[in-house]
Amino acid sequence: MAAGFLLINAKPGRAWSLMLSWFLFAAAIGGYLYVAQARHAENPEDRVTPTVAQMATGMYNAVMQPAEEDEASASDGSFASKLTHSMLWKDTKATSRRFLYSLLLLVPAVILGLHMGLFPFVGEFFLRFVLFFDKIVALSLLPILFIAFGIDELSKIMLIVIGVTPTIILDTFNLTRGVPSEQIVKAFTLGAGDFDVAYRVVLKQIAPRVLNSIRLNLKAVMLFLFAGEMIASTDGLAYRIALLRRHMGMDVIIPYVLWVALLLFLVDFAMRVVNRTLHPWFEEA
Amino acid sequence: MAALIRIEDVFVAYGTPPRAVLGGLDAGIELEIEEGSFVCLLGQTGCGKSTLLRLVLGSERPLRGRILIDGSEHPQPDRTRGYVPQKYSLFPDKTVLDNITFGPEVSEFGLLGRLTPKFFHRRRELRAEAHEYLRRIGLRESDAGKFPHQLSGGMQQRVAIAQALMTRPRILLMDEAFSALDPGTRRDMQQLVRELWRATATTILFVTHNTDEALRLGTRVVVLAKEDPETGSRVALDLTVPETCTDQEVAALVRRLERVSENLAREEDLERVTSS
Repeated sequence: MAAGFLLINAKPGRAWSLMLSWFLFAAAIGGYLYVAQARHAENPEDRVTPTVAQMATGMYNAVMQPAEEDEASASDGSFASKLTHSMLWKDTKATSRRFLYSLLLLVPAVILGLHMGLFPFVGEFFLRFVLFFDKIVALSLLPILFIAFGIDELSKIMLIVIGVTPTIILDTFNLTRGVPSEQIVKAFTLGAGDFDVAYRVVLKQIAPRVLNSIRLNLKAVMLFLFAGEMIASTDGLAYRIALLRRHMGMDVIIPYVLWVALLLFLVDFAMRVVNRTLHPWFEEA
Repeated sequence: MAALIRIEDVFVAYGTPPRAVLGGLDAGIELEIEEGSFVCLLGQTGCGKSTLLRLVLGSERPLRGRILIDGSEHPQPDRTRGYVPQKYSLFPDKTVLDNITFGPEVSEFGLLGRLTPKFFHRRRELRAEAHEYLRRIGLRESDAGKFPHQLSGGMQQRVAIAQALMTRPRILLMDEAFSALDPGTRRDMQQLVRELWRATATTILFVTHNTDEALRLGTRVVVLAKEDPETGSRVALDLTVPETCTDQEVAALVRRLERVSENLAREEDLERVTSS
């Protein structure tokens, strides 16, 4: 500490870094609790800042009570069946399905980017158009998509595809271009053909970086998915959040927001673990 | 005997307006390389020695002239010529063993061929051969499973040479292959390459800017130099290195070659040994 704790060369100890890194979490939770308590002391009917107890009840109902639309087909009462008939379960399932479809649609994007980067004719054919496409603000296309594809699943998935694939294509393209030419020449001198070079040399090399790029874009995927769900959907996490807004249902909205953040964190974490296991040779984390 | 590599009237220029790098508008570079020889291309930075190597490799085309490998043109890099660059010579995603066996595997089996039982049988053979190479280039058994980034620069280049030799190319092209290594490692590598060259009878074209290295390695040293800054490089000297060379003789030759390469002497000062 003698060097001064605000200097670039300062070296915080373990205790310090632990304390500093958790401080803002504690402050945010503490601040919220204080505000909620103060508002409820003034007006017990306050709906803007629900107390922890209210949020817990709201979440319990979301997890253990059948969803409104589902009341006809009542569950048989067991815990598992209650859970699978609950609001949270149905919403999470609907959103996850759309999310997975969108992730699957990123695979062709990676393949296209790879071919654009390696095969000059493919690159010339697509690059200018993808660069243009990339600049279109995907959300501004939303009305067009709803008119063209209707308000069902297809338009929501198309929104994600249009919003995220150009980024992934261009990123893969740049990563492919970044592979040293020595590697490609070397592969040819060892007897590899064009497709061997593309899939067994270049794609394998850029795979961990492509996965990282997809990880960074998970947030964008989620953003477009939520926009679609909020505007036109009958289920899904974002649909529920938009619906509860009308009832000022903050006791469920806040846990839902945290739940979405947790889900996204888990997906990101899983991808990081997969990346590290599949590519032990990849150095930068 | 016809030469294995024949460089005929080659002219290369870059940029707009074109600046000649190799050869001139009036006459291009002419060079013939016999099968089994060890030719070192020597020259200062920017004289186009690496360009000439890439032309032979087929990753670049000359503006004029042609390059014949065993009588025919090869416009793309292929199995006839092995390649060991200065950097990025190994595939970072493959282990040392997989790097060495990559050549035969990829050239003998297509994407689907790798699923057949024959492939697994052949891979066992290749792995045995790769272990044999590992021993010859002086790596330990325990290095076989390592990834390239876990090896030192010298070790990486050893593996790269083994990788290139696994497909048994007739020609091995090395581009400043040892320039990033420390002097001690460099001497070991030179010895290794000489041994492998004698054992495999591969024709080697070795690009370097180090005169001492060129003389120690090659049976023939070709010096590329620009006569004046406006024209492209030409073959300023073509020297057959005596079979046995004492250190003093090497030192004298180094001085002479460096004078040619720096354009301080005209070629007629020196004994000129042209190949025919």
